[in-house]
Amino acid sequence: MSGATSGTASLGGTARRLDVSPYVLLVPLLFAACALSLWIGRTSTGPMLGLGDAAIAGPVLLEIRLPRTLLALLVGGTLGLSGAALQGLLRNPLAEPGLLGASSGAALGAVLVFYFGLAAADSLVLPLGGVAGSVAALGLLYGLAGRRADLVTIVLAGIAINAFAAALTSLALNFAPSPYAALEILFWMLGSLADRSIVHVLLALPLMLPGWLLIGAAARGLDALTLGEDTAASLGFPPARTQWLVIGGTALSVGAAVAVTGVIGFVGLVVPHMLRPWVGHHPRKLLVPCFLAGAALTLFADIAIRVMPPGPELKLGVVTALIGAPFFLQLILRHGREGDA
Amino acid sequence: MSPRGSALAVLSAGVVAAAAIVAGTLFGGALGARSSAAEPTEDRADSAVARRDARKSASARNGSALPTVASINLCTDQLVLHVADPSQIVTLSWLSADPDESTLAEAAARYPLNYGSAEEILRFDPDVVIAGSYTNAFTRTLLRSLGYTIVDVEPAHSLDDIETHVRQVAGAIGRIERGEELVREMRARIARHRQRLDSSPVATVVVRPGGFTVEAPSLGHELMTLAGLRNLPAERGLDRWGSLSVETLLHNPPELLVFTAYRAGDPSLANAVLAHPALERIAARTVTADVPAAMWSCGLPNSLDAVALLERAADRARSAREHGSNRTVLAESPR
Repeated sequence: MSGATSGTASLGGTARRLDVSPYVLLVPLLFAACALSLWIGRTSTGPMLGLGDAAIAGPVLLEIRLPRTLLALLVGGTLGLSGAALQGLLRNPLAEPGLLGASSGAALGAVLVFYFGLAAADSLVLPLGGVAGSVAALGLLYGLAGRRADLVTIVLAGIAINAFAAALTSLALNFAPSPYAALEILFWMLGSLADRSIVHVLLALPLMLPGWLLIGAAARGLDALTLGEDTAASLGFPPARTQWLVIGGTALSVGAAVAVTGVIGFVGLVVPHMLRPWVGHHPRKLLVPCFLAGAALTLFADIAIRVMPPGPELKLGVVTALIGAPFFLQLILRHGREGDA
Repeated sequence: MSPRGSALAVLSAGVVAAAAIVAGTLFGGALGARSSAAEPTEDRADSAVARRDARKSASARNGSALPTVASINLCTDQLVLHVADPSQIVTLSWLSADPDESTLAEAAARYPLNYGSAEEILRFDPDVVIAGSYTNAFTRTLLRSLGYTIVDVEPAHSLDDIETHVRQVAGAIGRIERGEELVREMRARIARHRQRLDSSPVATVVVRPGGFTVEAPSLGHELMTLAGLRNLPAERGLDRWGSLSVETLLHNPPELLVFTAYRAGDPSLANAVLAHPALERIAARTVTADVPAAMWSCGLPNSLDAVALLERAADRARSAREHGSNRTVLAESPR
């Protein structure tokens, strides 16, 4: 199945020379990231290596750093995985998990919780608002596009839902009960893993897991789609099935991620591009490496936040964009050069 | 497209529903756990305290000593500075030491500062954590689950709120006497200001950065009223944050313009509003006064300092009123 275009094939070709499994690098990298994430904390005087005072080492490790590390893994993995699946499905390198409205729906749900002042009561209400928002966005997408819709219709419906959710979010900002609430809403839109607990991991995981499985079930269909819709259908992978598997899986897993961490950009967009020259262009082979790389990238971004000089924590979405944007640009430039050669 | 496709779409919808149910059950469970914790069912509260006590070295505790206090919010930092004994305070949040933000920056700078994360607070290991009700909900919940006593203080919307909050904090940190003393002082000051109230209030517009003014009801509005000012925009009905357009101001010139520049040196769109040419033209013909933004931002016993400032400005406006109306001057608009 070498259905890629000549330009992309040359990219794949250069990478094949490495001829090592991506896991040889990605798995140790991920372990290193996890270890660092558990090892590096942050106090008023800046980064802190190790656990410090033995009396509080237990709670610091188990109740503060471990949930944060797990959540970075799950959220980053989800973003990488769904980014790869969506780029494969849409056969468009600019597709990213936020495209279909699930994350803006989740953000809106969370923001409405802020707006009605419920977030003050408990930190669990906020993610639940987010989950409700993303499920509602998926329902709306399905309702708007219809079951038999083609991809263009779905993408357009996703864009419409995105715009609508963004407008409602701005409206909530405008009518926020106080400047404090507005500031909290704004911070939410930038994404963060700070001070999440194991409860948030347990809230996100039951939604992420079926999401991942749906995307996994679409893997072969995605490979078939690289040959074109008609060929895929004749091979026994009806495009509509692949389509809804990916969309449903993305909406579930990304919705759950945004619901607990806020909006974290760029991971889902960049990670598949980072791996494609190495792993090749079959969407199926990209999925798991993208999950691992997304998790590693998010972990490293979160570690970067913690090693900054003393001050209020940077927001994770800001750091992933800061890391991701130059990398993306460099990829584009390299792609251009190799295209000329 | 195919029956298989539709079957899978239905399946995925089913998974959505299933996931929602899972989340619902989880939430229900957590809710149940929480509601039982909300009541003072001793076992949970006790176990949390026991866990914390176990962490604390046994010798560090002195039965008769006042509880140690950490604050992770600008407004509660200042409340704590008013109410607590200095020996109780283990850390305050970083903004409280910033003179642009805090009315008690000098006092706050004597204490270790925090940036409001759970890991930091864990290292200070206070008995009580005072937070604002809009302080990061994740941090507050996590600290609560780690066994800390968290006191959530709402933003103050009135002078009564300040009393409530002073008492709330005082009660939580074993300083009830000091709290009552502060409330008595506040009431005496308020009574003195009330006696001074003139029968001819001064028409005033407060201009805050970003074109905001003082809405009513609010703490700022109460402070203005107490200083003998009429809050002109409030009489016309404002939205919740009290937005003010420069044009409205041109149509309804006040006797007194109060500016509350926030970080006036730092460029921002919000401060640009304060430098609007039309606003400067009105200001050139009107009595003006400056009140630091930090004085308005939190409800504190020393919020009454703003009243004293405003009273002096009102006196100046009244004497200007006697020496010829500002309005007439403004009516003969330039050009």
